[in-house]
Amino acid sequence: MIDHLDVMMPWALLSGGILITLLVSVIRVDTKRPAQISAVITLLATLISCLGLLQVPAETVFSGIVEISPLTHFILALFSAIGILFILGGDRYLNKEGLHLSDYYHLLLILILGASALTCSKDLVVTFISLEVMSLPAYTLTGFRRNDSRSNEAAIKYYILGGAIGAVFLLGTSFMFGATGSTNLNTIFTWSQSGHSDMVIFGMGHLLILIAFMFKVAAAPFHFWKPDVYEGAPTPVTGIMATVVTTAAFVTLVRLIHIVDFNNPSWATYAVTVKHVIRWMAALSLIVGSAVIITQKNLKRMLAYSSISHTGYLLLGVLGSLGKGEEIQSVMIYLFGYTLMTSGIFALMSQSEPKADTGIELIDLTGLMKRSPIQTMLWSIFFFSMAGMPFTVGFFTKYFVFMSSIGSGETPLVVLAALCTVVSAYAYMRPIALMVMRDADPTAANWNSGFWSQIVAVAAAAGVVFLGVMPNAMIQYLKGIPLIH
Amino acid sequence: METSSSLSFLLTLPLIGVLIAWVMPKAVQRLYAIFGSALILALTVYETSGLLFAKSADLAKTFVVDQKLSWVPEIGFSLSLRLDSVSAWFVVLNTLVALVAFSLRGVWYRKYPRLFTSFGFFLVFALNAAFLSTDLITFYLAYEAVFIPMIFMVGIWGENQKAASVLRFFIMSFLGSILMLVSIFYLVYLNHEASGVYSAQITDLIHFTATQDPVKLCWPFMGFFAAFAIKVPLVPFHGWLKDVYTNAPMPGTIWMSGILSKLGVIGMIRFVLPLFPQTAAMHQGWLVTLAAISIVYAALLAIRSNDGKSLLAYSSISHLGFVMLGIFSLKSNGITAAILLSVGHTLVSALLFFLYHQVEERQAELNLESPHGLAPLYPVLFVSLFVSVLASVSLPGTLNFGGEFLVLLNAYPVSALCTILSGLGVILGAVYMLKFYQQLGLGSDAQKPTSSGVITKDIGAYDLVLVLMLLSVIVYGGLQPAMFLKGN
Repeated sequence: MIDHLDVMMPWALLSGGILITLLVSVIRVDTKRPAQISAVITLLATLISCLGLLQVPAETVFSGIVEISPLTHFILALFSAIGILFILGGDRYLNKEGLHLSDYYHLLLILILGASALTCSKDLVVTFISLEVMSLPAYTLTGFRRNDSRSNEAAIKYYILGGAIGAVFLLGTSFMFGATGSTNLNTIFTWSQSGHSDMVIFGMGHLLILIAFMFKVAAAPFHFWKPDVYEGAPTPVTGIMATVVTTAAFVTLVRLIHIVDFNNPSWATYAVTVKHVIRWMAALSLIVGSAVIITQKNLKRMLAYSSISHTGYLLLGVLGSLGKGEEIQSVMIYLFGYTLMTSGIFALMSQSEPKADTGIELIDLTGLMKRSPIQTMLWSIFFFSMAGMPFTVGFFTKYFVFMSSIGSGETPLVVLAALCTVVSAYAYMRPIALMVMRDADPTAANWNSGFWSQIVAVAAAAGVVFLGVMPNAMIQYLKGIPLIH
Repeated sequence: METSSSLSFLLTLPLIGVLIAWVMPKAVQRLYAIFGSALILALTVYETSGLLFAKSADLAKTFVVDQKLSWVPEIGFSLSLRLDSVSAWFVVLNTLVALVAFSLRGVWYRKYPRLFTSFGFFLVFALNAAFLSTDLITFYLAYEAVFIPMIFMVGIWGENQKAASVLRFFIMSFLGSILMLVSIFYLVYLNHEASGVYSAQITDLIHFTATQDPVKLCWPFMGFFAAFAIKVPLVPFHGWLKDVYTNAPMPGTIWMSGILSKLGVIGMIRFVLPLFPQTAAMHQGWLVTLAAISIVYAALLAIRSNDGKSLLAYSSISHLGFVMLGIFSLKSNGITAAILLSVGHTLVSALLFFLYHQVEERQAELNLESPHGLAPLYPVLFVSLFVSVLASVSLPGTLNFGGEFLVLLNAYPVSALCTILSGLGVILGAVYMLKFYQQLGLGSDAQKPTSSGVITKDIGAYDLVLVLMLLSVIVYGGLQPAMFLKGN
């Protein structure tokens, strides 16, 4: 197995770094700085070694249970970059909230390891283990604000629901194992290429697995945990969950959907069922996300509902690609653009300085234009991008999912999505209106841009605008790294 | 044929203008904006002069410029620009309107002046891109990009209930344009199915839709129609207009009524009619009826208005109803008349809003319930205003007269009833415009305001030159409408 060490280098580095960070945080309990430095160095090393391996062709390792491909290297590089940005950008926030403990860092690294392992897994058991490796630090980090009852509530809620959904996933796995005699995704795909008598059992297992991941990406009607978790978790953690966890879960969801050969005529009936499930979940997510978002006053809850509606668009892309391999890149492009704007918006959000961070309301943005025109511009860029306005990456992400689902005959759903875009655009324009058109409220929060969080926000905003004007490189690159084979 | 690179400057110059605004001192922003837009105007007129002043349609055709810049080749996006005798008028008007809007003095040159100038130049850029574009996706992008400066312009320098009105404006327009976007995607997809290439080029799509069943194209037609009907607006879609026109700062109002509404006009002429000729013919009955209702209903609303800005806003809807009537006559003569009339409407509405702003600067509390009698105090201003009012009521010898007459002439064979109704609109137009002038200018008990901070002088030489320039185009066009009627 040592012969795969070259391509597995980033994961080896990350795992080693986790141990060192853990060790450092135990040795120097009194200060968090060593752990922080160790975490940043680990992620930096991982990032660099990933970038060096981007051109390596796909290969399966560890007797076929893990597949390393340009995609997985790209995703790990993306996650490491996000990790670095949030560690640096969240520094001030954690100090301010009194949460700066060295445990924070190794939990974060474990989360990233689990998320990236999820995207490499080619076996249902590995998928489950990675899912738990990703989720457990996520539960802990959600409850990181120990003295805040909302944070505790969110962590417990997330943990219980997540544990239950893990059981659902395992039940699905056992059904599929019963039907196919294997938990390996490649074997299952080969099995599905011919007709079988166990197709009903298999279908039940497959749907259960899909539902488990629908829960992770918070597609309605499995979205109830998301607003509470977003609100309860510390802001940098929310940002990491919104980007890293969502991306990993979506990539895996797409891979797990496509373990069935939908081009095989014997799966035609089942394909219709799966399409129905995804179609309804997409429609519900869009409707719930964009209808509830306009009633929200809390900024984090608003972003939670926004992410639910983005899940709806992503499911639209998944639907458009069912059985058509090349179209699936719309999902990857959407995820990349979404990650970019979400990182920026959470970096901005961690700059607020009210008494408790659960309380960041829309009202706190009033009159920001008078106080800080630059911040207003950054917020506006991200909100415009979320609404899918031109010259932001948000337009192109929507373009691809709309195109691919019109291509598979889902025009009514696309019309619904378009109408939902209008509704949620209202919600995104409202904070802009508050920032620009009102005088500052004396009770509004202070926004103090720390150096690093400002760097993150400016970089993300530049990326959003640049990719909105010149998306060529992004499209070419992401089309070149297939999500599924 | 000219060289293919000659069109990009219409897009790059305004963008350079945006950048320069940030290095200019705040105190000279107005001067800079005026000179910048005048320079762009001069270059635009020079570039388009071949088209504008050609003696005949055939001659004008030799000046048509096509330019295609590759943008995102991976998905078939390109920046396709076409300068022909339709778009030539609109790009010239666009910079002219910018010049008028930049010339106004007001709070926008005191509060964030750089932001105002750069938004203005950005608007010029986005509108030029929209008017020139022959690729549906780039058209959509430019069409949508216009919102961004507009939202901020109303938001930062607007008055009263600006937040509510600008959100309503945004949501209504965004609803229309997103329906158009879905229709574009749908057409691009169908065309891809049929021909195998991704292309949003209007020429490719026209070839494609010509082979399709017009009934099947009903939904995409509706998508496009919704976008442009909201933008113009036609009457059942006009809910957003009054509040945002009255709450916007005056330059914003001039931009919206003068040139943003023309996006709907050019959209109908350039995209809806060529793409869906038969579908439009199927629906002609109610389209013409809507236009006629717009004319009369908006005129009645204007008569009831007691606020100058909202009166002018409603009069704008009424006049644009004529433009739509001309377009929906589906005859090439009717469309040419519609273009003539929209040129006239742009000039007249920019002029009226410009002069109304001058009046507002001199008399703070303006309403049309009682006579103000300001004419004797500011004779030059009010003579200009009176001539503009006459141009607005389509006095023979002005551009609007030729336009409205030809529109009615071409609409009559389509629907006599609607044409007669619309003719009524001309009379109603005289009613409200004369009331507008009468309440502002006439009456006896006028006194110069004594409080400081209010302008007490008549309009200055620069403003007068600008007004005379606009008026001379209006009168010249009224006497020589042939220049505008070369067909497209």
